[in-house]
Amino acid sequence: MKKVHAVTACIIVLFVILLSFVLTSLNMAPETEEVRTLGKFFLENSYFGDYSAMSPEVVTSILWDYRGLDTIYETSVFFLAIISSLALFRLGNTIESEKHSEDSGPGLSFIVKGIVKLVSVMIIAVSASIALHGHLTPGGGFQGGSALAVVPLLVIVAFSKFALEDLGFTKDRAMVVRSLSLVGIALVALFPLLYGAYIMQNQPIFPARIGGQLTSGSLILYNIFEYFAVGAGFTAVFLLLATPEKIFKKLLGVKKE
Amino acid sequence: MIVEFLWSIVIISILGATVISLYGIARRPSLIKKLIALTILTDSANLLAIMVGYRLIYPVAPPVLPRLTEEGLKEFLATAVDPLPQALVITAVVIGMAVNILIAFAIIQIYRIYGTTDVRKIAKVIKNEGS
Amino acid sequence: MIFLHLIVLAISAVLGLVFAYFAIVEEDLLKAVIYSAGQAVAYAIAFYILMAPDVLLAYIAIAVGIYTALLIFVISKTERREVIS
Repeated sequence: MKKVHAVTACIIVLFVILLSFVLTSLNMAPETEEVRTLGKFFLENSYFGDYSAMSPEVVTSILWDYRGLDTIYETSVFFLAIISSLALFRLGNTIESEKHSEDSGPGLSFIVKGIVKLVSVMIIAVSASIALHGHLTPGGGFQGGSALAVVPLLVIVAFSKFALEDLGFTKDRAMVVRSLSLVGIALVALFPLLYGAYIMQNQPIFPARIGGQLTSGSLILYNIFEYFAVGAGFTAVFLLLATPEKIFKKLLGVKKE
Repeated sequence: MIVEFLWSIVIISILGATVISLYGIARRPSLIKKLIALTILTDSANLLAIMVGYRLIYPVAPPVLPRLTEEGLKEFLATAVDPLPQALVITAVVIGMAVNILIAFAIIQIYRIYGTTDVRKIAKVIKNEGS
Repeated sequence: MIFLHLIVLAISAVLGLVFAYFAIVEEDLLKAVIYSAGQAVAYAIAFYILMAPDVLLAYIAIAVGIYTALLIFVISKTERREVIS
């Protein structure tokens, strides 16, 4: 990197230290030692209280039980972004059917291919564990789904995009999996209406323990469906991004200056 | 005294990263550099939101109940941090990622149509077409 | 003992600032993406010291994995250098 940038970075760090020294001597640094009353309500009521969600993990119970509608809207924003990206990279029917006749390259060396095969299985196991234990420890559907999204990326880079499609993970099937998972989330959200309760109500409609294990009612169902939805959504995005450029250059020419 | 000094360093360096990324969005001509600066801006804002919910005590614990007993609840209430900003930040991270994916796709499409990702050249092409 | 937490937090915040500055002023876009990934790791350490493990799991998978791969795909389909003149 250039010398100018390194010197400027040192000057910025010295300036930050000087400014914080000034701030401390004026006694203006804010610090808190008590939890606010709203946070205290969630901490007290998440497992033992009157408005209990039967889950010792407070953040997951806020995300899917106390503020469940925020998460439904967030999932729909993510879905809209994927649909818009699909619309931008749309190809005609004839060009899409002759895509597979291109020959893909040899991929990376066989050391990389062997390690990718090993690591993919480990990543799938770890991400499923993160998603399924989201109501007991830190984790949940989003975290597990984002970890699962690394697997199609590794396969596309080490082998080729057509190897991933030959395994059966095409873009249309990924969108079908995502849509079915979103239907699952909607059904679990609307299910309490049959008993005359509110939308997305957790206790006492869903069972808190199944076979002696703590499952926290509807939280585990939401986590499972969100895991599949996020993983399938990212698979569709990476399959779209990995399309070679010459197919698009046949459709529209590039205007160069 | 030292505690407040270190806490001020953290706050001012995160505000500094926010200001530098704003400079990057406004003054750098490449569209990809603007996208990188946008991701840095949203990360700094999310970190500032989590810092609002922290407690400067010791011992301090994450908001996960470790033992399912009533005595464990009292000790938990004395040491746990605020859980509400963390839930809101998880939502903000996922929404920011969805918008950034859409922006990246739009950048590729702009390059296919105009042949460049430099905003000054794109402005020139659009002005020449309009006249 | 609280000093240990705060010193690690202060070092990672300052490292995040330095990496963010290098990412913005670098002209080779591939190096800028790598500096941005370094900044994401520094911020992930800060999230852990601030006792937010849920946010850490979601953030580190997205910022170090998804954003870096997405930007490298975009750079390979468009231009690699940013011309300032």
